[in-house]
Amino acid sequence: MISKVKHIHALTSIKRERVLPVAGHVLVRRMQKVSPSDVIVVAPLVSQFVLMDIAQGLNVNPARADELLQRQAGEDLVQGDVIAGPVGLFKRVVRAPQEGMVRIAGEGKVLYEISSPDFELQAGMEGTITNIIPERGAIIETKGALIQGVWGNGKTTYGVVQPTSNDLLKELVVEQLNIGFRGAIITAGFCRSPEVLEAAGIVPVKGLILGSMSANLIPLAKKMDYPIMIIDGFRETPMNKAAEKILIENKDKNIALNAQELDTFQGNFPEGIISQSSTSEPDLPSEVETLKAGKKVIIINGPQAPQIGEIEKIISGKQVLSNGVETQLAEVTLANEKSTIIPLTNLEIIND
Amino acid sequence: MNTTIVAAKSVIAVDIGSTITRSLFFDVVSGKYRFVAVGSAPTSAGAPHFDVTEGIWRSLEQLQYITGRVLLSEKDGIIIPGTPDNQGVDIMVATMSVGNPISVVTVGLLDTVSLQNARNLAHTTYANIIDEISLNDHRTSSDRINMLTRKRPDLIIITGGTNNGASHSLLSILESIGLSSYMLNESQRPHILFTGNEQLQDEVKSGLSKISKLRIAANIQPVLGKENIQPAQKEINEIYKEFRNKQSGGLREVLSWTEGTFTSTAAAFGRVIRFLSEKYEPEKGVLGVDIGSDSTILAAAFNGEETLRVFPGLGVGSGSAGVIEKNSLELIKRWMPIELSDQKIRDYIYNKSVYPCSLPLDVEQLEIELAVAKQAIRYAAEQTVPDLPKQLGAGGTLLPFMEPIIGSGRILTLAPKRYHPLSILLDGLQPTGVTTLALDQNGLLPGLGAVSEANPLLTVQVIESSTFLNLGTIIAPLGVARPGTIILRVRVNREDGRSFTRDIKYGSLSILPVELGEKVSLHLRPLNRFDVGMGGPGKSGKVNAVGGVLGIVIDARGRPLQFSLDPEKNRKRNEAWRKTFSKYE
Repeated sequence: MISKVKHIHALTSIKRERVLPVAGHVLVRRMQKVSPSDVIVVAPLVSQFVLMDIAQGLNVNPARADELLQRQAGEDLVQGDVIAGPVGLFKRVVRAPQEGMVRIAGEGKVLYEISSPDFELQAGMEGTITNIIPERGAIIETKGALIQGVWGNGKTTYGVVQPTSNDLLKELVVEQLNIGFRGAIITAGFCRSPEVLEAAGIVPVKGLILGSMSANLIPLAKKMDYPIMIIDGFRETPMNKAAEKILIENKDKNIALNAQELDTFQGNFPEGIISQSSTSEPDLPSEVETLKAGKKVIIINGPQAPQIGEIEKIISGKQVLSNGVETQLAEVTLANEKSTIIPLTNLEIIND
Repeated sequence: MNTTIVAAKSVIAVDIGSTITRSLFFDVVSGKYRFVAVGSAPTSAGAPHFDVTEGIWRSLEQLQYITGRVLLSEKDGIIIPGTPDNQGVDIMVATMSVGNPISVVTVGLLDTVSLQNARNLAHTTYANIIDEISLNDHRTSSDRINMLTRKRPDLIIITGGTNNGASHSLLSILESIGLSSYMLNESQRPHILFTGNEQLQDEVKSGLSKISKLRIAANIQPVLGKENIQPAQKEINEIYKEFRNKQSGGLREVLSWTEGTFTSTAAAFGRVIRFLSEKYEPEKGVLGVDIGSDSTILAAAFNGEETLRVFPGLGVGSGSAGVIEKNSLELIKRWMPIELSDQKIRDYIYNKSVYPCSLPLDVEQLEIELAVAKQAIRYAAEQTVPDLPKQLGAGGTLLPFMEPIIGSGRILTLAPKRYHPLSILLDGLQPTGVTTLALDQNGLLPGLGAVSEANPLLTVQVIESSTFLNLGTIIAPLGVARPGTIILRVRVNREDGRSFTRDIKYGSLSILPVELGEKVSLHLRPLNRFDVGMGGPGKSGKVNAVGGVLGIVIDARGRPLQFSLDPEKNRKRNEAWRKTFSKYE
């Protein structure tokens, strides 16, 4: 059976596409080294348009209004510039409401685009530009640690990673959130209290990485100004050991946290990237692999989630679970040497 | 070699679902078309493959292994058409549901008339309505232009005006749509489907065809009060194909294998339900429900008139979080016979949505999944029933009389107990009168729908080959009484001359012990003016019935099912219903 690979790697090659949905101006070049705050591409992402009824403004018919137009499509204007007119006894005119550009003119109307600051798409991670996507963005590559999550609140940041304790087994509580975490991306085992999310916003922390979280905190987590990434799922369990080890070992290092919303179809997962200089050239991680004996796996459902173990053997044929569900099972040896039986569907491969 | 589907003998119907791609193999056995086998594999339409052919190829490899028939060749790929030595397949058709929903802006004149037509049309495919424009919204033209350029919909559906009716108001809205499309990059311009006043078609063409991907269909409401959705539905399906073609690689190859016989799973599902209603001309409507990982489909048809509703983001896998978000935890909990904390239920549902392929490990997790399935279907039914024809049966928010009702989806077919699918369909749909609940146990409906237009014989012969599992004949009397009041007297006459009578009390759920496949004659005598679909309240009658997996089920719990504000009372009622079913397991 084929399984998705959950990406938790201490050192791997990472390749990410940073692109805008609209055409813009790419500011980087191939082989350029970038830091997370470097701007990759700029574009007027959100234009604001005003449809101006020139004929009505000048109190003439549309044909006459077109004759009185002083500007053509494509002309840049500043606030107060005359677009059409003057006409009549009182020299009536129509002026530009703000700095902008005439986009379409005719039939007594003008579609006017108000100038808006360009949207700047940042690199979001350290790395090297390996490819330019014309007018849209670039491909960035780096080497380092990669921790993939399953839920994010749609925000991104970059900062120093700070575990809230020496291990990431425990619940994050308000008392832990002291001023020392101000501006840091903090990590903890799990969270079940809304007060904690609010207190973290008051500190303020720069980001929050949790092993798990109660699902009833989702609406509040979405409202928080700082990025929140959940690595393992919705429950009250410690962080999986592979991710915990990486985050503890990389304490005080910079992490690029992209807590984007999960979109498995597009392959968009929330993730944290800690770039590292290394002489080795690790391969790009595989996305899917076959579940078989010897494979390291993470349990994704049930009381043993998110423990990590190794497949001892795949039990042949379908077996019946206590609830009557028929499925194929694997015998998995956990870190504590204990053996357990888990449905293959409840395992993901992990190559840390 | 040009093979027509009618002349063909073997057919493969591929269904590219959100998690699984299935290849169904049909062939002629003893002179009749039969379903032979199915191969399945993980869908590869999205990341990391972005190529549907990988999943199709693997499912065909499995099919090849199961059937022993060589379907694939390393040199030529899929062997189409079949060879004289029984290699390959003569015809292939494909359906697809995987992918993020199409974002749609609906446009109409009045909220309750043309805009409702546009909504109904959007809901026939995998679409999310992200905004609406009508005369009732008071945004300026500038606001509308800004909305459209910011939200960048994939599709704008324009309705409004009967033929020879209103035109001026619609033209002013069209101006905003045209200008906004013009302002977008060519690759971002939306598809536009105009299905309004036919007198405006020329103006629409001249104004929009050069700046958008324009399609025009016959007026969805040519005269007031008459919805003509099918021409526009065909166009929506074409747009769906184009859209998916852009999103996933390999579809061009699929189109070449299928010679273009490719459609959305929902459209194919709706087509086969319509086909059943045309072919068998039942007095009642035919209803199909398909509950998938990400979406739920409800299709009803009355003498060839089809009502199709697709609910993306409402399912039992990745769509399970949508069930809680569109409803509430309480509405899910009310279906559970065991007590679990809110947190446990909510956490499980959200975990399921991020790990949709994971399986329930114990009874508690299974009960959560069954409750999610019931509520997903309940929600879909509540949204759809008001749009169904009112002339048959209950009306209002109750399901009209339907026969049969067919359920499809892995949560139904893979449920461990035989009563689980019946219980999900019975509670979710809450049928009325006398009907049969059947299970599409091999997931054939979309494939049969895809084939039906070109080769109706295959569809008929496969359906008549007992492909659907009869879960049970359902008798659901309509009316109101005090709990415990006798509302129905049923006499069951067996073919061997034996008979027995049961008095049915209001509020009860009972099962009449009739063997699977056993033919019986039922004499139904409703009391207290209850209606069992025999021509009106209090009317008695005879019906012939066939025992299903659970015999004959008499659901006298009332319609719609009423729940207590006390969760413990609801839990106990569910427990009692479950005991009734499990006695006959």
